[in-house]
Amino acid sequence: MTQMSKTTVAWYLLAPMMIIIVGVAGYPLIKTVYFSFTAAHLVSPDTSDQWVGLTNFLKALGNAKFRSSIGNTVYFVVFSVSAEILLGVLVALLLNQEFHGRTLLRALVILPLALPTVVNAMMWRLIYGPDFGALNALLTQVGLLAEYRSWLGDPSSALTMVALADIWKNFPLVALITLAALQTISRDHLEAALLDGANAWQRFWHVVFPAIVAPVSVALVLRTIEAFKVFDIIYVMTRGGPASSTKTVSFHVYQEAFAYMRVGSGASYALIVVLISAALIAVYLKLLQRQGETA
Amino acid sequence: MTGLTLKQVNKKFGEFPVIHEVDLSIDSGELVVFVGPSGCGKSTLLRLIAGLEDITSGEFWIGGQRADQLLAAARNIAMVFQSYALYPHMTVAENIGFPLKLAKLPRARIAEKVAAVGESLRLGALFDRKPGQLSGGQRQRVAIGRALARDPKVLLLDEPLSNLDAALRLEMRMELSRLHKQLAATMVYVTHDQVEAMTLADRIVIMREGKVEQVGTPLELYSRPANVFVAEFIGSPKMNVFSADLDRSGGNPVIRLSEQTALSAEGAAGSRVFAGIRPEHMTPVDDGGLRGVVTAVEHLGADTLVHFDSAFMEGGIARINGISGVRTGENIGFQVAAEQYHLFSENGNRL
Ligand SMILES: Nc1ncnc2c1ncn2[C@@H]1O[C@H](COP(=O)(O)OP(=O)(O)OP(=O)(O)O)[C@@H](O)[C@H]1O
Ligand SMILES: [Mg+2]
Repeated sequence: MTQMSKTTVAWYLLAPMMIIIVGVAGYPLIKTVYFSFTAAHLVSPDTSDQWVGLTNFLKALGNAKFRSSIGNTVYFVVFSVSAEILLGVLVALLLNQEFHGRTLLRALVILPLALPTVVNAMMWRLIYGPDFGALNALLTQVGLLAEYRSWLGDPSSALTMVALADIWKNFPLVALITLAALQTISRDHLEAALLDGANAWQRFWHVVFPAIVAPVSVALVLRTIEAFKVFDIIYVMTRGGPASSTKTVSFHVYQEAFAYMRVGSGASYALIVVLISAALIAVYLKLLQRQGETA
Repeated sequence: MTGLTLKQVNKKFGEFPVIHEVDLSIDSGELVVFVGPSGCGKSTLLRLIAGLEDITSGEFWIGGQRADQLLAAARNIAMVFQSYALYPHMTVAENIGFPLKLAKLPRARIAEKVAAVGESLRLGALFDRKPGQLSGGQRQRVAIGRALARDPKVLLLDEPLSNLDAALRLEMRMELSRLHKQLAATMVYVTHDQVEAMTLADRIVIMREGKVEQVGTPLELYSRPANVFVAEFIGSPKMNVFSADLDRSGGNPVIRLSEQTALSAEGAAGSRVFAGIRPEHMTPVDDGGLRGVVTAVEHLGADTLVHFDSAFMEGGIARINGISGVRTGENIGFQVAAEQYHLFSENGNRL
């Protein structure tokens, strides 16, 4: 019997998984690409082979509602991700100090992360509630607010409030990643910097920051990709409203394909979203690669 | 360069005393080595000097200045860490120049200084590399370079060679010795390797359990150890120490190791003393002397280690010059010059 080369063996071993992946992910993807060039409609069966060329894409790019959903998404991403990074790093720095109850606090911080998004969304909907919400109660009691507001009912505040709920849930991920990086910093490095004459800020800038910048930027890209695809929290909290003020691209795709049942056009939106995600993922891979090289 | 003075220095971590009543003065330009078994407080003492830990009580002076309240950065003391603690994202040149950059020296001045330090440590060719691309010995030299860059008053080194292999350790030891002479710097060096201590030190401080056991030049410690602990710690293989009964029948107390050898143990109290003989001071003789039975023979080439059991001690070692024909099981005798005996009282102190 001839001996198989290592690569041949590897391919054999990978084959079952690859077949599954191609079946589960590849087939729908190809189907989506196919639909995006048709006038497919969920309830009219013969539309799925009506070839319309690039019409769907041209329409999508020209659609003002879609463009405004891109605007909403960008706002959501920039606001929530930058807040998550800032908060996460600050909390990690705090949790890295020695104090009583540190272990308990570390455990508590992870809690939001463990919460299912849907539960988190419902919880915050209650907190923001216009009639009995805790936020209204708190703000009026401390005198910051004159009368109860409908936080999620107001187009000017709804998206920000949804983002805040998302920040609360996701900053712990950043904190966790940063804390792990902080713990790899050796005490010797900090003490060497101290003896070299570095003050607290210089120690942060020259010793701590270089050690956390790579992991934090990975967290940043990961969170950006996730935030860009945001769907479930919006579905539960606002369904894209009021007045489409919280409608993000994923939500737009969902509506187009499943609420309005325009599968063909929905697929073209989905592909545009996928392309943007792919670009973000490329950045992520690039970062990972660079991190691998410096480590 | 400046001297250091410690007066009755104590250090506790919580309730746990680590440094106990240390009195020590280190002269300007001196190279002092702290040596002692693991956990005896060497690093802690060094960190107290550096200002990385606060002393619990006592006084610490740098030159004529009281310094125990002085911040680490203000002491102008540099330290080389056992782990080297090089900044991984900076090049060699940036690492060396870092303290100068923090001191806000002009760029040209920094470059000049870095070049000078690099030259004296033969680092020039490595300036653009990152620490990850250096060998252990090279990292060590960069760490020393960074410490020297800003002309510190005192240079502290905590087990700087313990991560290097034996050959490199020897080389770096010579290098440090050369550097010390060239800079005439005050240096405090921590090691638990007594060979390193003996070869490098102007003076050695031997520590045990937070206390200083003896301070002296390497030769003083070797030839007049203050107690049994020091006697056994310095020298390799270590000194043979055994207890011997005092014979007071003739007036002055003596100990009898064989029929011919009676050693005066003047000033000894109680009924027993400890006697010590260094392995290298035992010469084999055919008749008489201290008799024993050879239990093992180790040939090191330049000399031979003979392990023996005898009436006065078990597990003794003698070091014989050259290659010896002694065999295991043989009966052997050793002659020891009277002045080569070390006698210690029952509590371990030298008589
Ligand atoms: N931060 C600390 N808190 C509590 N105890 C400490 C602390 N640092 C050191 N010790 C204790 O102080 C004692 C002396 O430690 P130190 O590190 O000075 O020993 P050392 O002589 O340098 O030993 P080694 O040769 O192993 O490096 C040890 O018993 C150690 O456990
Ligand atoms: Mg130590």
